[in-house]
Amino acid sequence: MSLDGPTWTAVGRLGDLDERGRALVRVQGTEIALFRVDERVYAIDNRCPHRAGPLIRGFVEPGPAVRCPMHGWRYDLATGVSDRPARATVYPVRVDGDQISVLL
Amino acid sequence: MDLKRIDDLVAEEYRFLAAERAGWSLVAGPQDLELVAHALRVLLHTRTLTDFRDEYRALVACQHADGGWAPRSDDHESTVWVSAFCALMLIRGNRVLAEPALDGAVRRAIDYFLGSQQADGRWIDPRWADLDTTSHPVSFFDVVLALGERHRRADVERAWQRGLGFILENQSPEGGWHDPDFHPSGVEITAHLIQDALVAELLLGERVPGIRDACRKGLACLRSWQAENGSWDEENVDHTMDCVRSSMVVTRILGDDPATTAAIERGLDWIVEHKNDHGWGDFPGMETNLERTCDGIDALCKYRAFRDPDPKSVVRLWGYVP
Repeated sequence: MSLDGPTWTAVGRLGDLDERGRALVRVQGTEIALFRVDERVYAIDNRCPHRAGPLIRGFVEPGPAVRCPMHGWRYDLATGVSDRPARATVYPVRVDGDQISVLL
Repeated sequence: MDLKRIDDLVAEEYRFLAAERAGWSLVAGPQDLELVAHALRVLLHTRTLTDFRDEYRALVACQHADGGWAPRSDDHESTVWVSAFCALMLIRGNRVLAEPALDGAVRRAIDYFLGSQQADGRWIDPRWADLDTTSHPVSFFDVVLALGERHRRADVERAWQRGLGFILENQSPEGGWHDPDFHPSGVEITAHLIQDALVAELLLGERVPGIRDACRKGLACLRSWQAENGSWDEENVDHTMDCVRSSMVVTRILGDDPATTAAIERGLDWIVEHKNDHGWGDFPGMETNLERTCDGIDALCKYRAFRDPDPKSVVRLWGYVP
């Protein structure tokens, strides 16, 4: 985030997503996991708030949501809301042509 | 796996963990107690705990009045999972340290678990699946019973049997345990349940029907879930370490079989192959974290004991025999 508030930051291109529609990017010292589900791209902090498991290695489920591969905590990809006592940080995503940007 | 290599790796990784003490030491300041408990288990299994008495005393100092601990040492609400880890390290550590204050803390922890069990035999913790959560107080009670702690003995035996009953009732027909809200794959839960909760009962008189068969089926599930390359759960380092450790103690108690021994060897080879320069990460290629490093050292220590001619050596590293 800049001193003037959140700004859109380019983090990659649709072509950077792997065959499962995922990419891990590092922006301003933060790991962000990108997931493309049903043509929409979601951005979520990569580290599970529970035990810091890597959500990029998680299991995408209907919702859409991602389930941490370490201990199974599940997060809504759009809101970060979980059934567990935690909430993941998610970021608004904009796709312009091939360019993916997140609001940081 | 060559035992000289195992010994060298344990020594090397232990030096790394000791150098990183500020990251897990309760004496240094507030900590994540699950990490602390992992580190104390390394001290126990590398027989270095007498150099760290102050860490055990600090663990007693952050025990709550109800006998439990919180996930962080400076939080105030006791939770079951981490309390079981802490209590287990205290009762096992005090076999060596013999400090009255630790005895008192163990008895308070027993009170905590007796008071927090649910009517159907389970224990609950919002951070973990109920089956997995339940396995940890049962594991603590396994060790309480194995080491002859007499505090509220009859109550402990009843609670322990009810906990075992809850676990047995929830085994799937194929032999694994699953929780749709946490671990649909069931790998980690199954590995935890058979090693931490169930198999000790076979050394404690085998009075609960069905345990031997449940362990045999669970162990077969673990073998069937292992990948060609020796790992489990899509190359999950944590879960692979769990499965290797679980397989070692369960097969040793049930009676060693070649298929499980081969699975253990493949799993251990994979673990060693995916070690970082220092320590382990959660998946191959990820940065080292101290909790996984403690698990790695523990897995190596247990493998070393598994290869010992004394068949009880490896079982001793769970605290199920004195």
